[in-house]
Amino acid sequence: MIEFDTVTKIYNVKNVRKVILDEASFAFETGKNIAIMGHNGAGKSTIMRMMAGIELPTSGVVSRDEKVSWPLGFASGFNGLMTGVENVRFVARIYGEDSRRVLADVQEFAELGKSIDLPISTYSSGMKARLAFGLSLAINFECYLIDEITAVGDRRFKKKSSAALHDKIRDARVIMISHSESTIRDYCDSGVLVYQSKLYYYDSIDEIIADYRKFC
Amino acid sequence: MELIVTQIRVIVALVLRETRMTFGSSHMGYLWAIIQPLVSISFMVFLFYIAGRQSPYGASLALFFSTAILTLELYNKISVSLMRAFTSNKALLTYPMIKETDTLFARWTLIACTFVIINTLFYGGLIGLGLADLPAHPDKLILAFLSTCFLGFGIGTLNAILYQRNQVWQHIEKILGRPLFFLSGVFYIPSNLPPQAIAVIKWNPILHLVEWTREGYYPNYESDVLNIGYPLSVATIMVLLGLFWERMTRKQRA
Repeated sequence: MIEFDTVTKIYNVKNVRKVILDEASFAFETGKNIAIMGHNGAGKSTIMRMMAGIELPTSGVVSRDEKVSWPLGFASGFNGLMTGVENVRFVARIYGEDSRRVLADVQEFAELGKSIDLPISTYSSGMKARLAFGLSLAINFECYLIDEITAVGDRRFKKKSSAALHDKIRDARVIMISHSESTIRDYCDSGVLVYQSKLYYYDSIDEIIADYRKFC
Repeated sequence: MELIVTQIRVIVALVLRETRMTFGSSHMGYLWAIIQPLVSISFMVFLFYIAGRQSPYGASLALFFSTAILTLELYNKISVSLMRAFTSNKALLTYPMIKETDTLFARWTLIACTFVIINTLFYGGLIGLGLADLPAHPDKLILAFLSTCFLGFGIGTLNAILYQRNQVWQHIEKILGRPLFFLSGVFYIPSNLPPQAIAVIKWNPILHLVEWTREGYYPNYESDVLNIGYPLSVATIMVLLGLFWERMTRKQRA
């Protein structure tokens, strides 16, 4: 479970005050595959970063009792000067996983071939996303945080990713940000709408999509 | 317990990564990291040597300079490298278990280890060339080394925070650090200075660390200036202040 207890998050950028969450309390219960929806700039990514624990709330407490991934999105934590192999080893090390096993899994999934020995700065964005996605699948998290990347690569790779993710969520679960209704229907069974600095929970995907269309 | 294990794992991984980032992918890279300060320190010592100056203390001019320059370089290297630890490691914060302070610890560990090797090679070289004897009080030498690392960490942490707030800090730091070479007793015996001069330079904690190193290396070097408590308390205050400030500003910096 990932729990938000009266969480407020405020950004002050150059004297512009932005309230992302205003005393929101919510429990993202274990086992539920949850979609996070909201209009652009509502703060979905920030909320996900707080779930992962890489950003602190302005006030309130975020707690988690499951192994949560880093938010999988376009910005990766890869170091451009290091090779794919070095980056993978580094992540395997910090998560205390066997780096050889992780490397083999990633290599098989991401299909980077010899490029895995090249610095990340030489990768295309698609290759980076494949590496990041393969890496997170190889680490065995209990909860995957996905920030709008389910559709990377070509058609064949998309199919492979979706099969792998479906396979994963038999034992793990996902919390995902997406604007794509079909993606959400595909993976999620419930949803949270971020609207005017509050979180609204929906038991059914149909209802959240209806409200999302109405308000956002 | 599990937290400590994770912490250690993260720092080990970061140290390996730092090694790779600083020295490139080849083993030669790390060799360069050792050779480069070794050469620059040797060069400085050599300059003074051919200038034909009498050693202010003991028979070996080279040893006298080395005790000071190695200490000063260690301090400089740590405090300056830590300055950019936050800004150059932003991408790492994608991974939840890595905190900004871990990047400080990792850099610090790497530099300290590198300097253990540099010190060993340098003093070993001097001994081999007959320019120095074995250190008389290795325990003191080690304590002085560790205290220098400690002070470097404190100042380095403050540098990191200040630099992240405003990059102008790197220039100010450079100006503040410049006089250290002259104020740290590199080419004179601080105890022999007139009392008015001592009254000023004794506020420099690095001078005390240099004197401590000398007392550790020479059998009978006695410093009138050295007060071990002083650099240690300055270091402790800086470390606590740095870590406290880091903690207090964490939310703003994220």
